[in-house]
This record gives sequence, C-alpha cells and structure tokens, in this order.
Amino acid sequence: MSQLDHAPLEELLAVRALDALDGDDAARLDASLREHGDCADCRGLEAEFAGTAALLATSLAPVAVDPAMADRILGAAPPARDQLAERRGSQRSRGWAALVAIAAAFVLVVGGVVLTTDRTQPVVGTNWAQAVVRFEGTAGGTLAMAFVPGTAGAAFWGSDLPDPGEGMTYEIWMIDDGTPIPGGCVTPVDGRIAVFVNADVGTTEQMAVTVEPADCPATPTSDPVLTAPLA
Amino acid sequence: MGTADLTEAQDRRLVESLRRGDEEAFRGLFGRYATSAKALAVRVVRQQHLAEEIVQEAFLALWREPEGYDPERGSVRAWLMGMVHHRAVDAVRREESQRRRADQMVVGLREETEDPAEDLVDDLARPQERRLVRAALDALPPEQRQVLEFMYFEGLTQTQVAERTGLPLGTVKSRTLLGMRRMRTALEELER
Repeated sequence: MSQLDHAPLEELLAVRALDALDGDDAARLDASLREHGDCADCRGLEAEFAGTAALLATSLAPVAVDPAMADRILGAAPPARDQLAERRGSQRSRGWAALVAIAAAFVLVVGGVVLTTDRTQPVVGTNWAQAVVRFEGTAGGTLAMAFVPGTAGAAFWGSDLPDPGEGMTYEIWMIDDGTPIPGGCVTPVDGRIAVFVNADVGTTEQMAVTVEPADCPATPTSDPVLTAPLA
Repeated sequence: MGTADLTEAQDRRLVESLRRGDEEAFRGLFGRYATSAKALAVRVVRQQHLAEEIVQEAFLALWREPEGYDPERGSVRAWLMGMVHHRAVDAVRREESQRRRADQMVVGLREETEDPAEDLVDDLARPQERRLVRAALDALPPEQRQVLEFMYFEGLTQTQVAERTGLPLGTVKSRTLLGMRRMRTALEELER
C-alpha cells in the first residue's frame, strides 16, 4: 500500500474513467500519478473505475454491426504477430532493416530512380540512401527520415502516427545551432505519412517534430513529440 | 469462479492468441463485444455511420495492437469499451455542431435502432447483465445518475457538466465519485 493519500486521486480517476477530465485536473492527475510512482493501488483504482465505466455501456441495448466489418478489419491490416516481429527487441534488427529498406525505396522513388528487380542488372542508386534516422519520442507510431549528407532534401516515412487533433498538424523542424528552422507541415492519413522535404539537413544537429496549428507557424509553439539526433 | 471471472479469463486467452495473429481469436472478441461497442458509440455520437466507423477503428486497433492491453489496468472489456468511448467522445468534441443537431437525431436514432436484426442481437447479448446494470443505474440518486449519464453517454467534460447543471465543479466531481462507487459496489460481481 502506498503511503500517499489516494482520496484526491480517486475522484480524478473516477472522472477520467468517464473521459470527462479536463482543464487543470488532467495535469493534476498526471502529476499525482507520477508522485505515487509504481503504485499498485493506483492501478487497482484505475482498473475498477474502467470496469465500472465499461459496464455502463452494458446498460444499452446492443446495436447490430455490419456483418462484413470483421472481414474488412482482418483484410485491412497484417496480423499483430507480423507487426510484433518488426518491433520486438530480439527481432529489432529485422524491423530496422525493413524500415531502412522502405525509407530507402522511398528516397529512390522520389528521386526518380527506378530499382529493378531483375537480378541480372545492377541495382541503380543504392548510394542515394546513405543515412536513415529513426525518430524517438512520446508521439507514438514510427517515423524515419532518409537523406543524403551534402544533398538538399530529406524523405520522411511514418506509420501508426496518432491524429494530431482537429485543426492541428505535425511540423518538422531542423535544429541548427539551437535554432529551429521550419521544414514543413504534414498531417497523417490513416496514421501514415510519406513526404519529401526540399531542405538541406547538412548542418542540422537534430530533427524535431511538434504538433502545431494547421497554419504551420514559423516558430514552434509546443515541445517536440519526436526527435532524431543527426550530429 | 463466477461467470464474469470466466468470461474475463476467456477474453485474456483470446488476447494472448491475438498477439500471435490468430484471426479466430479476433472474431471471438468481435462477436462478443462489437454490438455493445456499437451501442455505446451510437449513444455518444448519435450517428449510425459515424458509430460504425468508430467501432471499426477500435477493433482495428485491437487487431493491430493487442499488446496495448495491460491486465493490471482492467478487464479486456473495459479496455475495449474504453477505446470505443475515447474515440466517440473525441468525435463529439471535434464536431460540436453534431451535438447541437443531437435532439433532431434522437428521433432518427430511435427509428434506426428499431432494426429487426436488433431483437436477435438483444437476445444473444447477455440481457441478464444489462438488466442488472440498468437496475443499478436506476437505483442511483438522480443527481449522481445525471452526472454519470452526462459524462459517459453525452460525452460532456466535467466542466461542461458543471455549466449545464449550474453546479460547482467540485460538486460535479464528488457526485461522479459517489456514483461510480455505488455502481461499483452494486455490480461488484459483474465488474470482475
């Protein structure tokens, strides 16, 4: 049992279980949970309220769904095990190789170079994708950038990126000598982005992505949700 | 082991199988919860088409990211319904104009949910459990029930509930906690 008082936490967790927490209370709850640290009691309360909220849904008469929906879902996405294979530690290199291959292929496509699948011919343009970096951060999803040092332009490829929200977009920044330089805005479609930015990242120390208003401001208004060091 | 425990144990096994890409496991969870998920989404967004999209998104997330389920944070059902509810309230809050049209749509909704297929679904989907939950909800003091319904079924935030009811925010929060506690106690067996 945590030594900290759970009473104030309980009220906020109850409201959050109903997706109704807003304003300062959302930040207050997060701070309180951080203060409690690895708190089994907190998780227990969270689970209880989540369960109670879910039961409220049971009070409603069920509504039929399109019988083809399950097939559509199964046909639309690869099985979870395939995605896990790309993500998990022991298979990380395979996932990374796939990411590099996709990003490299994208660079080749945007550069107008065609890769042949004919084994008897040399692969053209393999020197194009000389650097691929993967972004890390709190946004979720996957984002990678491929570029050729000394050559203007960088290709970004992302998947499973969360929706930045109504009226918001992701903005890409190049951090040069501590100064963020805008690289353009992009909004994922079904969590995916594939975009070419015609900017020189040659002197860039770090790449960053923030969530910004859709008018794509010239200076960041929020902290980065994804970053990738280049230096 | 109670019925609820048994169901939860089965659900967790299905999620485990899902992590190995088992399509039948997915169909099992879909068959068990899709109609309740749709009912919840329809209730919150009050549009059949949008509700269908929300349910599809939530189950797609289940299929693609089953490792997102953390047993320490509750049951599989709570996780699934949470995903549906988050998406539904996000949709409502994104499109406040939909909310203003809600009253007009209630009529259409009633007509839409009077689908002959629903009777069949209704019979199959744990009517006993629904009756108990409804009874527990009805047994709440009206001021607590109202706050829970505004939040869960209307998708209102605590601030919006305070504005709509004219109550201080602190009162809204305390009524929420009291209502949730009462529901939890009344449904202790079902909840597990």
